[in-house]
Amino acid sequence: MTGPLVCRQVRDVTHDMKTFVFEASEPALFRHDPGQYLTFTFEIDGQEIDRCYTLSSPPSRPLLASITVKRVPGGRVSNWLHDHLTPGDVVRARGPLGGFSTARHPAPAYLFLSGGSGITPLMSMTRTLYDLASPADVVFVHSARTPDDIPFRQELELMAATAPQIRVAHVCEDDGAVERWDGHRGRLTLDVLRQIAPDLPRREVFTCGPQGYMRAVRRMLATAGLPEDRCHEESFEVPAPAAVKATGGTSFAVRLSRSGATIACDTGTPLLEAAARAGITLPSSCGQGLCGTCVTTLEKGTVDMRPGGGLRPGDVARNKILLCCSTPLEDLVIDA
Amino acid sequence: MSIVTTPATVRPREERGTSRIQDTVARRVVGHSLERPFYTDREFFDLDIAAVFTRHWLFVAVDAEIPEPGDYTTVEIGPYSVIVVRGDDENPRAFHNVCRHRGARLLDGERGSVGNLVCGYHKWTYGTDGALRYAPSQPGDFDPGCFGLKTVHVRSVGGLVFVCLADQPPADFTEVAARIEPYLLPHGLRRAKVAARTDLVEDGNWKLVMENNRECYHCDGHPELLRTFFPTYGYAGKDIPAPLRPAHERYLRTGAELRETYERLGLPYALIEELDHRTTGFRIQRDALDLAGESFTKDGRAACRRLLGDLPTPRLGHLSLHMQPNSWFHVVGDHAITFSALPLAPDKTLLRTTWLVHPDAEEGVDYDPDTLLAVWTATNEQDARLVARAQRGVSSPAYTPGPYAPTEYQVEAFCSWYVARLREELRR
Repeated sequence: MTGPLVCRQVRDVTHDMKTFVFEASEPALFRHDPGQYLTFTFEIDGQEIDRCYTLSSPPSRPLLASITVKRVPGGRVSNWLHDHLTPGDVVRARGPLGGFSTARHPAPAYLFLSGGSGITPLMSMTRTLYDLASPADVVFVHSARTPDDIPFRQELELMAATAPQIRVAHVCEDDGAVERWDGHRGRLTLDVLRQIAPDLPRREVFTCGPQGYMRAVRRMLATAGLPEDRCHEESFEVPAPAAVKATGGTSFAVRLSRSGATIACDTGTPLLEAAARAGITLPSSCGQGLCGTCVTTLEKGTVDMRPGGGLRPGDVARNKILLCCSTPLEDLVIDA
Repeated sequence: MSIVTTPATVRPREERGTSRIQDTVARRVVGHSLERPFYTDREFFDLDIAAVFTRHWLFVAVDAEIPEPGDYTTVEIGPYSVIVVRGDDENPRAFHNVCRHRGARLLDGERGSVGNLVCGYHKWTYGTDGALRYAPSQPGDFDPGCFGLKTVHVRSVGGLVFVCLADQPPADFTEVAARIEPYLLPHGLRRAKVAARTDLVEDGNWKLVMENNRECYHCDGHPELLRTFFPTYGYAGKDIPAPLRPAHERYLRTGAELRETYERLGLPYALIEELDHRTTGFRIQRDALDLAGESFTKDGRAACRRLLGDLPTPRLGHLSLHMQPNSWFHVVGDHAITFSALPLAPDKTLLRTTWLVHPDAEEGVDYDPDTLLAVWTATNEQDARLVARAQRGVSSPAYTPGPYAPTEYQVEAFCSWYVARLREELRR
């Protein structure tokens, strides 16, 4: 589904989340696994910026593709989308990419855990299972700051009310502006998780959310004795706003320790591309995180990485990154 | 005027070779060792690859070598190279180690861990399911679906990984697997840890390596092994030579005790011996060991504190498994040893030996690797010298086949199984 997409509609989801609905510019169906993402190229103030967004729409509704974006304070792309993208506008996208999907791990029972904007891939998976009348049992647990921040709240309630094997529970830290929250309160804990899903160990778990949330969930699942191969995760880390450079984007310094060069790379640009723009050609091939040619060691800093299967968890544990699908979250030092 | 000569009486070399092979195979005398060309000739070597190694299930690796998705090992079988990789679905997969682009060797390492299988030549990238995921700069009409890796049959049996290069693998393997698996499963080899793996190139034909393994007639050449291994292996009770009688009496006593242990723990132990007269020939038995009876060590005591499969006692004797054409195995309470013989040349054979221990056993804490490896390292080296000696001897034009002793009945079973395979091949 590589090519230009036309925005057809912008829908409000919560006070700071919107869904952007796209159609292919030439008549076409979107084929993807629920949970996969597209890499979009947006032209913002005369500059091209790449960003990955998960499709919140399900493949069972293939005529349209939607992304759901949370406005991030200081976030260049999310603010631009919220403030400027309107029906009729054209954007470019490549994909679908990613292996975070129920399609890759079919199971009789799922547990979907999400925090913040991490809800989008799980929304696509749940909508798909619902649309296809799947017999799979789904427990959907979303963590939000307040009830006002729960995305797709009524839609989830409708699915839970009309499909007997889908259950939805939310965990909120605080009351809403007018609504008192009397559901599970505070942060997600293993106790709460066990109350909601006593049969937790038999489920295939999909988790998506901010890094801190993911770490907490990983610990809970390990404590509950879930085998690692039944836990799947995807992380969207929202970079902290850093010094805004003349380019207008959040940019970080990336030092290549072997060559001694330091390049600038903004939060929307893969490291490989930033190096190429700076005139440094590093070994690479597929550009999709598949082949592993651009693997390097991250010596300092953190990145947002979306490999397409070219790295194993063990490689990640040894600080290996793929330059083609890693964007900086802070200043970095890489072994290149 | 022109002169035309027609060499009508000269048949093509290949045909000459085939009929010579056929005659030699047809002449084989039951109960005797094989004639010289079987051990020395390139033509026989190529026939062995075709008749035996490309048609049968071969033991090539252990699951423990590839514990995680993306872990792989490669194995050379004659002219073939096979990748055995743990798939994303946790199951072992096997592929020909040949890129579908222009045929380059895909992975050149003996083992490692990869995200995807990426050819080192032009970066063609295959998933662990063998599907071509990415090929750089191809035209728009390029269909990656037509260029998946060529698959090789693979099957894990109780932690032992077998591959088969044939299009139609022998059908009886499923039944054999089902009969040996209950013997293996209690030891938890699938989740075990590789404590060591050694590659020994023996200067002898692969059949001499196998024949040597299938008898204990030469076992006085194995002083370390004989501390715990009863030398009466292969003898019928009534034919025990006088010097071996005390050992045999100990063997009978220990055997009776052990059978009680096996019954109590529900460990299958009965001898099944179907080495010949079937495609997947095998022999399996749980049997006594001498001295402390726990392990292959100087005093028979366990070399590793953690026991395989967390079984409650180290005193389990040894589970011994022989598989045609190329492998044998010993599982004792505290460790397991697997042996895979692969032909490299008419007079060169790779013997790959792997020691397995409990997954949580720590080197230097639960076991001393030198103690763990001592007996079979010495035994392998002694066997390698005997095989080289046999190879040098049978290479002489003065060599004529000699008779196998009764205690060498498993050698005869191996040869007769082997000759049956050649006859099948020559009939094709």
